[in-house]
Amino acid sequence: MRRREIYDDRRAARAVAVTTARRAGPQGALWGYVFGATIAATAWSYSSSFPTAESRARLADSVEGNAGFAALFGPIRAIDTIAGYTAYKTMFFLVILGAIWGLLAATRLLRGEEDAGRWGLFLSGRTTRGGAAAQAAIGLATALVPLWVLTAVLTAAVGATSKVQIGVGASLCLATSVGAAVAMLMAVGMLVGQLAATRHDANLIGAGVLTGSYLVRMAADSDPSLDWLRWASPLGWIEELRPLTGSHPLAFVPIVVLIAVLTIVAVRVASRRDLGASAFASRDRRAPRTLLLGGQAGLTVRLTRPAFVAWVAALAATGLVFGLVAQAAGAALRGSPGLEQAIARLGGSSAGAVAYLGFVFVFAAGLVAIAVAGQVAAIRNEEAAGLLDNLLVRPVARWRWLAVRLAVGSGLVVVASTLVGLAAWAGAASQHTGVAVGDLFVAGLNVAPPALFVLGIGALVFGFWPRVAIGVTYGLVVWSFFVETIAAVFDSSHWLRDTSPLLHITPAPAADPNWTSAAWLVGLGILAALVGVAAFCRRDLQGA
Amino acid sequence: MGRPTAIRTQALSKSFGDTRALVSLSLDVAEGEVIGYLGPNGAGKTTTIRLLLGLIRATSGRAEIFGVDCQAHPVEAHRRVAYVPGEVNLWPSLTGTEALHLLGRIHGYVDVAYRDLLIERFELDPSKKVRAYSKGNRQKLILIAGLMTRADLLLLDEPTSGLDPLKERAFRECVAEAREHGQTVFLSSHILSEVEALCDRIAILRAGRLVEVGTLAEMRHLSALHVEAQMDGSVPPLSGLPGVSAVEVDGSRVSCRVTGSVEPLLAALAGAGVRHLVSREPSLEELFLAHYGSGQAASDAA
Repeated sequence: MRRREIYDDRRAARAVAVTTARRAGPQGALWGYVFGATIAATAWSYSSSFPTAESRARLADSVEGNAGFAALFGPIRAIDTIAGYTAYKTMFFLVILGAIWGLLAATRLLRGEEDAGRWGLFLSGRTTRGGAAAQAAIGLATALVPLWVLTAVLTAAVGATSKVQIGVGASLCLATSVGAAVAMLMAVGMLVGQLAATRHDANLIGAGVLTGSYLVRMAADSDPSLDWLRWASPLGWIEELRPLTGSHPLAFVPIVVLIAVLTIVAVRVASRRDLGASAFASRDRRAPRTLLLGGQAGLTVRLTRPAFVAWVAALAATGLVFGLVAQAAGAALRGSPGLEQAIARLGGSSAGAVAYLGFVFVFAAGLVAIAVAGQVAAIRNEEAAGLLDNLLVRPVARWRWLAVRLAVGSGLVVVASTLVGLAAWAGAASQHTGVAVGDLFVAGLNVAPPALFVLGIGALVFGFWPRVAIGVTYGLVVWSFFVETIAAVFDSSHWLRDTSPLLHITPAPAADPNWTSAAWLVGLGILAALVGVAAFCRRDLQGA
Repeated sequence: MGRPTAIRTQALSKSFGDTRALVSLSLDVAEGEVIGYLGPNGAGKTTTIRLLLGLIRATSGRAEIFGVDCQAHPVEAHRRVAYVPGEVNLWPSLTGTEALHLLGRIHGYVDVAYRDLLIERFELDPSKKVRAYSKGNRQKLILIAGLMTRADLLLLDEPTSGLDPLKERAFRECVAEAREHGQTVFLSSHILSEVEALCDRIAILRAGRLVEVGTLAEMRHLSALHVEAQMDGSVPPLSGLPGVSAVEVDGSRVSCRVTGSVEPLLAALAGAGVRHLVSREPSLEELFLAHYGSGQAASDAA
């Protein structure tokens, strides 16, 4: 008997929403876990580092009113409480990370699908251009649910302990604030995906929107007289929600309005434009530029140049900011047991600006590791997209292709690390901090070994199991950050600390670099990369 | 064959897990030969080409290109090879000119005049970015990138996929020119008329196994001849004659298939008084379908 599968209109018409939710949902859950764990670890760490009212008051005295910190990370409120400290310490990073993910997820699942030609398959089914875009919006919103739930549950779980004591309502408010930032940038991503010619262009426009929003928020937080300016920035609205420090629900109004307006406009644009078309003119034709197209190495440099320049610029800017605030931050944190303990755990003993720089350079090491994980992703994506076939069917040796790719990744690490140090010195020197250029140059180089280790592990996994290389490499970086965040919970000899490459470097310039440890990290990275190259030369090419 | 060998495979096999994609392929292709490589989807055609290119590793067996072990020394083998895939993925931000420049430089040799002729012949606008090309235009670009190298061996995997009939004709001209230049062409294709028109020999693959290889004439010789006759009177009994099968009678008209000598059939028809007789050799399509009839498909599935 012939078997038939007949789907009703409703089921067929929601295929886009279901597909989008299925693809974005697991990532939403992962980020929810990371966000929740970070919040929980921060709250727990604060309660351990500042156990007494006196130590908390001293911290508050030294930090509150620091305009530099407020401009960079947001206003400092009730930092003498666990809730206030947790909000201040986590909100900036979680909101920025969540916003970037929301933007990239939206452009990937709408414009990216269109660029790949798969959106047309949806549109040949029982939906319309506008209907498919609306369904994608529902799918993205569905993916927010696990993010929100996990963030709220983990925050509430740690909040329920007697040591932390953050209420369920405050936990929900914090999770909602982070989720609101993600949702806003998803809506931005949806709209720019309709306006731009490619996903790449959409990402650039979306990044511009996020940067502009951050700069307006930064200006608003730099001077109390500019408080009103916060209402001109979507990131300012998130700050105005004030999770954990006295919620301010009025700020939800512009957030909800913005999400609704952007989504409606995106759906309307989608319903009116041709598939593949864009509102902005794209340059599909131009005179040839053959610079760097003389061979595989040049091509690699040319293809990685935009990401290379962007990361180097971003890390140099980060180093500059570290240097600019080092003097003030060092003074504010002088005597902070939390910072001193953190520096001591990492093997340092300095205080003041040097201690601050030592502490934040460990964070910089994590950022360089993220940059290099992006290089591993680019390596895998070139294979998965079939682009590598074009090279390897010509006289290009596999080992050479991968070696060049890894050399570019290593170059990114060395250049970015060096510039972080030199830019930090430039910033510090402008504030008469008195840290020597040589010390910060060495401190910059000191952040390279963990990234080179991550690159080596990425190459190793790529050589054997290419389909999981991206996940494992980013996973290693996220894990390293996670262990670094919760390191306060463990004693210095705990094996868990050893699993984070970030905890194998000293906090230079607050301590002398441990070149032996650095050499081990680099050596193991090189060994892993060599094994990875050898394995790659012996395996089948594997598509997506 | 007498001529030096361009491609030689010996018991070449490839398995993906439990799936045997290619089973003990032994095939020689002479230098200067144009060989058609036929088979339905999943028969192992692309697997063969990817093994020859060293993109995937053989489970067992050996493959050589111009005497070079192409699994052990792919770079050396690739110096004399140009490959044209049926599914094209090129760097979307490059223009056509930039892509051709890059691929030519990497290969190491480009016949510039011929490249310009190909751009004209295929009517490609090379100033556009790859991302702006249609599927057909991307196919033209990769075809030009392969042909412009004048490589000794052209490995073509469904190279006319997405091309319009005019450009398909242009492609046939290119293969004819390649033959004149003494280049070897390994053409994997679903377009049987293309293979029939271009190829000296044909290899047919089924479920990863080589089931037939030879010239079209040799294959026809081994296959049944289709005969139709109009009789003066009634049709004589033909079913029992040696080599005769598929007899169909419609009044005084009869059609049948003959394998081997046609003498017994001709004698029987002449004895009964034949008014009109037509015989036709099987087309490549008929030969191909004979290998992939429903019975074969069922046995493959089993």
